[in-house]
Amino acid sequence: MKTALKNTTMLLVAAVVMFGSMQALAGKVKIIANSSVKADTISAGELKSVFLEETSSLSDGSHVEPVLARGGPAHEAFVEEYLGKSDAALQVYYRSLVFTGKGSMPKSVGSDAEVVAYVAKTKGAIAYIGSATSAEGVKTLEVK
Amino acid sequence: MFRRARILIVALLCIFADALLAQDFKLFGRDIQVHGFACQGFVYTNDNNWLTTNSSAGSASFTDFGANISVPITDKFRAGAQIYDRNLGQLGQWHPELDWAYASYKFKPWLTIRGGKVKTTLGLYNDTQDLDFLHTFALLPQSIYPIDLRDSTLAHTGGDIYGDIRLLNHLGTLSYTGYAGHRSDGMYSGYPYLATHYGIFVRSMGGLQYGADLRWQTPLKGLLAGISRLNQDIDATGSMMNPRNPANGLVPLRIVAKQEWTNQFYGEYAVGKLRVDSEYRRYFRDYLVPSLPSGNVSDVRGWYVSGAYRIVKKLEVGSYYSRYTITSLFYGLMALPNQTDTSLPANHIYDKVVTARVDLNRFWNVKVEGHFMDGYGVSTYPDGFYPQVNSQGFKPNTNALVVKTSFNF
Repeated sequence: MKTALKNTTMLLVAAVVMFGSMQALAGKVKIIANSSVKADTISAGELKSVFLEETSSLSDGSHVEPVLARGGPAHEAFVEEYLGKSDAALQVYYRSLVFTGKGSMPKSVGSDAEVVAYVAKTKGAIAYIGSATSAEGVKTLEVK
Repeated sequence: MFRRARILIVALLCIFADALLAQDFKLFGRDIQVHGFACQGFVYTNDNNWLTTNSSAGSASFTDFGANISVPITDKFRAGAQIYDRNLGQLGQWHPELDWAYASYKFKPWLTIRGGKVKTTLGLYNDTQDLDFLHTFALLPQSIYPIDLRDSTLAHTGGDIYGDIRLLNHLGTLSYTGYAGHRSDGMYSGYPYLATHYGIFVRSMGGLQYGADLRWQTPLKGLLAGISRLNQDIDATGSMMNPRNPANGLVPLRIVAKQEWTNQFYGEYAVGKLRVDSEYRRYFRDYLVPSLPSGNVSDVRGWYVSGAYRIVKKLEVGSYYSRYTITSLFYGLMALPNQTDTSLPANHIYDKVVTARVDLNRFWNVKVEGHFMDGYGVSTYPDGFYPQVNSQGFKPNTNALVVKTSFNF
């Protein structure tokens, strides 16, 4: 009985820690899109599908085109939290698509500021930036 | 001279890979992407010559490269093509080939069709086996992905239907592929090369193949499980030494498959910097030479377990154990001794491998790999060790050092 209680407590603590760390990661980035994207919210599943090139449109019919950052904390957090991969694994994934003809290499740009500038001028573009970065000129999507 | 020039070109391409990044351009308002890769290897073995190279003296006859172009014609419709060329010992011999060329239309994430020459989906790595830069290892486990027999499973000219289905209740994603088409083997591959040892000169080899693959990305993050099935109906034509009277020279030859299939089961677990995967493949073929008559039944089984860990961003280490066995039964006029005891070195290859991969930058990597092989698996079915380049006979064990560098853009 005592052991069962101890195990349950440990599981709860682990769950709280995991949930907390996921929240912390998710809090590091915000999702932005070009103003041509009609949606104001996006599900985590849709976001993953878009960035893994499984779909190029959202459930409301908006055409979207994923844009990646070349590195940095926001990129690391986004890739791990929303795509469930490491950066190395993601590069392997995209190159597999490209060299078997199943997809294209997504556009990638350098800094958060460049990401915002590219998204602002590119119809359908969707990307991620650090939560502290200004999103002026683009819309911010809430992840449901 | 040619070898030095080749190595220099590969080195320059690696160094200036960044400059090659201008591969995106617009044509008629469409974004066109051009990508490519090149790879140079070196093999040294302590005893037997391996992979048709003169590896016991050290061989750099291990080069391949490819380039592709693709264009999204609409959001759902895309087309592209890739060329590929290689020289590996006696294989490839710098004869370029169309690797893939097709158009695809995505109706929904769960339904895409593609037609043309397409890479065959079989197991974890069949369609990416040439793409060195995607893999931790310099050589994928040869029990499942024999580099000398890549043509046998690599591609088909026909059509695929595939898609991803997200399961309800967070049960993961099912990805399926179904395909049918014509397989056509190159004449600079392991099978035609090995056949010459038996006085058989293959002129063409190919036929219908069809199959399916189903893989499940489980709810457990990073865990994938899958199954593939491939049926083939392969014929070969050519000529052979007259077995009744060799002095009469060559006679026409036709080899007909009575039964040929492959089953593959696989799993992968990738979390953080760790990746573990394992596959099992059984390949069975029963073929007949009607004019003699003679025949052969081969049963090839292989499996491996591999693990890789990225220690730091630029360094990954890995290891695998690969196990290959063959049994082969012969009948008729061309009967060779049957191979049934897989404990003999002639009927198996057990390979222990360790690798280090260094990513010098995003586009250029170097791998150093050690192979410690027990057995040489010589048969009428190719498996890396060829009698033509081992005229002194085979030693039971082979240690090999493989060094490879590749770049992509």
